[in-house]
Amino acid sequence: MAVVTNLTWNQERSLQKLFGCVSFSLLYKASVHDSSIYTMLQRCTHQGSTITLIYTDENVFGAFILGHYPQMGEEFENPNSSFFFLLKSGNKERSEISTFVFNRAPEIIKKKLSFCFHNSEFFFLMPESKRVFIHPQLADKKFKCHGYSTYLDCEVFRVEGIKDDLSYIRRITGVTQRRQRLLAELSTYKPTTCLTPEIRILLLGPIGSGKSTFINSVKSVFQGRIIRQAIAGSDITSITEQYRIYSIKYGEDGISLPFMLCDSMGLDEREGEGLCMDDIFYILEGCIPDRYQFNPRKPITSSHSGFITSPSLKERIHCVAYVLDANSINNLSSQMVKKFKRVQEKVLQCGIGYVVLLTKVNNWDEILQDDFLNMNRSTAYQSQIICVSKKLTIPIPNILMVDNYASEREMKPLKDVVILSVLRQMLRITDDFLEDLPLQ
Amino acid sequence: MAVTTQLTWMQEKSLQNCLGGKQFTLLYKASVHGFSSENLLEKCSNQGPTVTVIYGEDYVIGAYMQGSYYRDNKASVTFFAFQRTEISEFEIRIFNTRTDNNKIKERRFGSGEIYYGYHDLQINLNDRNVTMDRTTSKKFALHKSHISFQECEVFRCEDSLDKRRIEDVTLLRKSLFSDMRTYNPCGGLVHQTRILLLGPSGAGKSSFINSVKSVFRGHVTNQAVVDFGTKQFRTYSIKDGETGNSLQFVLCDSMGLGEKKEGLCTDDIFYILKGHVPDRYQFNSIKPITSSHLNYIDSPWLKDRIHCVVFVLDVNSVENLSHEMVAKIKRAQRDVIKCGVVHMALLTHVDDLHLIMKADLINPYGCMPVKLKLEEVHRKLGFPLSNILVVSNYTSEWELNLIKDVLILSTLRQILWAADDFLEDVPAEETFGGSEA
Repeated sequence: MAVVTNLTWNQERSLQKLFGCVSFSLLYKASVHDSSIYTMLQRCTHQGSTITLIYTDENVFGAFILGHYPQMGEEFENPNSSFFFLLKSGNKERSEISTFVFNRAPEIIKKKLSFCFHNSEFFFLMPESKRVFIHPQLADKKFKCHGYSTYLDCEVFRVEGIKDDLSYIRRITGVTQRRQRLLAELSTYKPTTCLTPEIRILLLGPIGSGKSTFINSVKSVFQGRIIRQAIAGSDITSITEQYRIYSIKYGEDGISLPFMLCDSMGLDEREGEGLCMDDIFYILEGCIPDRYQFNPRKPITSSHSGFITSPSLKERIHCVAYVLDANSINNLSSQMVKKFKRVQEKVLQCGIGYVVLLTKVNNWDEILQDDFLNMNRSTAYQSQIICVSKKLTIPIPNILMVDNYASEREMKPLKDVVILSVLRQMLRITDDFLEDLPLQ
Repeated sequence: MAVTTQLTWMQEKSLQNCLGGKQFTLLYKASVHGFSSENLLEKCSNQGPTVTVIYGEDYVIGAYMQGSYYRDNKASVTFFAFQRTEISEFEIRIFNTRTDNNKIKERRFGSGEIYYGYHDLQINLNDRNVTMDRTTSKKFALHKSHISFQECEVFRCEDSLDKRRIEDVTLLRKSLFSDMRTYNPCGGLVHQTRILLLGPSGAGKSSFINSVKSVFRGHVTNQAVVDFGTKQFRTYSIKDGETGNSLQFVLCDSMGLGEKKEGLCTDDIFYILKGHVPDRYQFNSIKPITSSHLNYIDSPWLKDRIHCVVFVLDVNSVENLSHEMVAKIKRAQRDVIKCGVVHMALLTHVDDLHLIMKADLINPYGCMPVKLKLEEVHRKLGFPLSNILVVSNYTSEWELNLIKDVLILSTLRQILWAADDFLEDVPAEETFGGSEA
């Protein structure tokens, strides 16, 4: 019999989604190799992190073990280095894999591979008799299979391409929940002030800094697939030449959320190229209509057919996001900085919110804290943040980092969390400023 | 230490190709699991066909065995060797041992050597050296019969397109088919989504249309004329072979872009996008369509316009695009952007790329050579990476094949999604009169 997994391709892909971009190598399969615990351990020890999968009649579940497989008679050292997951229960594949983190390292006790939570055994398997035990607390409403049962097959895979560190487990088991919580919060968001029923956020930044891509990314998160609506690309002059106000739609029914992202032409350090300074001021005041075609050499005038002469507070910009490529902060020219400062002066004068959005940030493992609550500013991008803060005189808490959906064809939960967190922060800052708005 | 192979992506891929489309699973790595034949057999026995790779100072040599370690004492062995160089280029030498006595033996006494063939090759893991007879070393093109090594790895070999994979891909095709059959343009504004294909002549625009048609028809068809170069504007509706109904999208073929004055007149692009150009319009390279043309569509509706543009390029030509062609494509991109239409790139002939195997076409975007091409197109033409798609058209086949079907269908789905993104965003005043329903 061939050593081939019983996993379907879809199941393998959902596992890959859970673990991040990794590959799995099948090391042991009970039905081919023999089912003694010795053979199993021979093949699985010293292979790095693994998953052990159990197939019963109706269910597929298993455990991930960080670091090496336990050995006989070995004392555990690291707490919290394994978790249980449920891949399939009954006839239905699970779209989101549920997990349960153990807080004691797995052990081999009396020919059993045992996983504990506090002091009770929550999950164990006895390879020799092909039996498995699941604690009732691991079983949820949809997964009724608790107590003892006999399994059909057991497979062990090495998991490659992950970081051997405890925060990894917290991250992958927490990301789904975090994403759902953020999505729930933002999809029911309402501006705290009664002055305006919806929030408009203007994205400003150099050509190619990722303004349109950020809009597509936000739209993608709420739609669940890659959206390419705001036309993005890279060229020496701005791809975006129109002023665009994008509403964000949520879910199948396409309900518009009460915040809008406004896309503008890229800024150019040269005069007479890119977005005009005067146009920016008109945008801030809400005078410029959606789909207005910018002219780098000539700002809009009040005689333009679409010009909004007396915009309401609703039509005005409530927050400006300066979008910058995190990797080219040091190359920011003085002309560009000057342009930003002029806008910022006006922004402060109007009393509206502002943030800096650093795009193209990649190593999230270092930046996002394990609990996703904060960005770790102490690491990789610290120098860039300080540099931006100094150059543009913007306080550090208003500097946010994001990684857009720029090269993906599929959604990634971690990226969703990053984008949603940034968006929430923008909305909070906007609300704070709106509350404090000088009455005019 | 991590259990990961020392082989580079290129080396691994070349080896997999030489062995007839295999995929490898690393089971044993001497530096992690210990240099001893017992340790090797603990991990590798009864795993089915394996590849054992020995890393010497200047050479990488190895053996592929069709049977399992330990269990099948008689199994055919194939030896291979490649020179270790920094660059990806190397020559693989491959040969079979004498067929009469292909034996793998492990002698547990003494230092525990592993024999391949009779005395063709023996590996002594404890001493970290390989001994081979003269014929073998000659075939390896080695000058010595005794080499020492620093690392030994054993992989299990599986067919990269095994039964499980095929079954899963079949399911995927089924679900893609049903997605396409039930596809409705976003918001019901138009009856059919119109996709325009642009690109240099010979890039595979018509072939892509034929391929899509073929997939839905259930056999290979060549309706869009490929050989003579397209000179007409043609819109192709796709019929579902099962139900006979037309699908709710139309693929529009145009004349290829030329380097200089030949080929599609770039001014025509704007008219096509806006929906002024009728089906079967004969292109003129020198001058664009005018409103005086017999079938010129004076006031096109949303349904006559183009909802997504796909720039088709031959994946093998992206490095060699001339300045003129790049400039032409960029200009066309600008026209497309002006009309607010999403533009994507489609790289054809992806199966021709070096080291790409059939199984790789299931998820081509993960393959190194494809990634390099995408980056090249992104750099040269500015397409966002996620807007660049790849495909392998039906060009010379007589029969459809599952994997090509899936790639064509999933590419088509991405294109239709992009068109939907456009349709969702059309300003209300332009949607008037667009619906036929």
